[in-house]
Amino acid sequence: MAELIQILISGLAAGSIYALAAVGFTLLWQASQTINFAQGEFVMLPGFFVLIGMALGLPMWPAVLFALVLSLLVLGAAFKKLIVEPMLPHGTLPLVIATIALGLLMKESVKEFYGATAQPFPAVFPQTVYNVAGASVSAQDIGNLIVSMLAIGGLQLFLNRTRTGRCMQASAQNPGVAEILGVDVKRMVLYTFLINAALATIASVLISPIYLAKFSNGETLGLVAFIAAIVGGFNQIRGALVGGLLVGVIDNLSAVYVSAEYRQAMPLLLLIAIILLRPQGLLGTKEGRAV
Amino acid sequence: MNAHAPILSVTNISKQFGGIKAVNGVSFDVQRGEILGLIGPNGSGKSTLFNCILGQLRPTEGHCRIHGRSTDGVRPADLSLMGVGRTFQQLSVFPRMTVLDNVILAGQEHEGSMVSRLFGRPDAGLTAKAEQLIEFFRLSPYRDTEAGSLSYGQQKLVDAAMAFMAGPEIVLLDEPAGGVNLTMLAHLKDRLLTYNREHGTTFVVIEHNMEFVMSLCTRIIVLAQGEIIAQGSPDEIRSNPMVIDAYLGG
Repeated sequence: MAELIQILISGLAAGSIYALAAVGFTLLWQASQTINFAQGEFVMLPGFFVLIGMALGLPMWPAVLFALVLSLLVLGAAFKKLIVEPMLPHGTLPLVIATIALGLLMKESVKEFYGATAQPFPAVFPQTVYNVAGASVSAQDIGNLIVSMLAIGGLQLFLNRTRTGRCMQASAQNPGVAEILGVDVKRMVLYTFLINAALATIASVLISPIYLAKFSNGETLGLVAFIAAIVGGFNQIRGALVGGLLVGVIDNLSAVYVSAEYRQAMPLLLLIAIILLRPQGLLGTKEGRAV
Repeated sequence: MNAHAPILSVTNISKQFGGIKAVNGVSFDVQRGEILGLIGPNGSGKSTLFNCILGQLRPTEGHCRIHGRSTDGVRPADLSLMGVGRTFQQLSVFPRMTVLDNVILAGQEHEGSMVSRLFGRPDAGLTAKAEQLIEFFRLSPYRDTEAGSLSYGQQKLVDAAMAFMAGPEIVLLDEPAGGVNLTMLAHLKDRLLTYNREHGTTFVVIEHNMEFVMSLCTRIIVLAQGEIIAQGSPDEIRSNPMVIDAYLGG
């Protein structure tokens, strides 16, 4: 029982970070039909921005702020302006290919610039381990879970309880009509890209102390976040949250109770099952699309 | 502004697509409080003319003025700020937002400063006004229902409520009766007539459903092959041999 609690908490903590990236997937899809296959690298890169900030002499938290600003500029505004806007008129597939290329470029650039070895990353939370009903639960897992939930909860509140959030939802659901009603749709789409960059930065700062900062961190993360978004429902933020948590828990459970060798196959099996049984995802809604 | 000046003035509008003249020298005025119907068989140029009025198509010749201001090249969002509301041929609600949120959204971008947009009340203080319109269109039982889950006819009513939220002086209705069942259609007509009577709002209606147009409009303009072939009261239009000829092709 103690082991199960430990695995569940650890799975939820990892899953909450997957959820941050998955929520970004769904936001970009809803706002601009962008499927960002560089999302894993988007989570990998801000960790290196933090390291650059610290190398420039900044203490850790100012370096995180530095990384956030850089991420907003590079992964938010520049990504939208230089990749998405020119490619989107050509359709979804060219944009998907462009994001795959972008992911490769980011990964190889970091490898070239920082080397292939994992870089130590400062801990965000104390290295304390608590005993909860006989289970060892780290402060890091609890902290990661709380910060991720606060970030996603705050985003939900922002989208549902503010005028700007309502305009962002309207822009995602019916951009033509939103524009006619006076909503600045282009600005709302930009906000979405900035939010995705901010979520990626939070995920990066949370996950880098665990895996260390490494150029290849995005490989698994991007795939898992994509699976989480589809499992939960690509058109719902709460779906991405549930998908992320579920994938994190299944991943950890299968590592212990099934096979550590096959743990990476489990999310894929879950993905296949969802596509066959409930293609709109666990919490997603069916959408008609004109062709 | 002169109270007797037309609210909408269409002057010698022509629109050519390559070698085809979709609209040819059309002129008419619409007075405040009028309900004008624009009808005509398929391909008569109604939609082209409608889009020219809304500034979405640039006329080859002529111009449209609303409140004396040209609509040529006006952004859709600015049309709304000029006091022009519109409904759409296709459904135009935000499907995963509640009916109340849909209606509030239709008015909120006209309210408040930049600061109040960021820090002000999320409903922009429009809940009471939105609820009045929801009540007016008898959508109160669906106030908190996601708009996408309503029937087609109910969504058309939400669309209409949204068109009135910003307090427009003129509303352009693009085939409001399309796909709506008879009961809902009677309800929609009743609501539009009541709104016109109570608020003096001007309507321009493009519609295929002749019965709906005849019973709603005070004046009707008939287009055929891009030109006005008749205009007058519903009774005059009904008995006009040119109109019968244009519709029956005889």
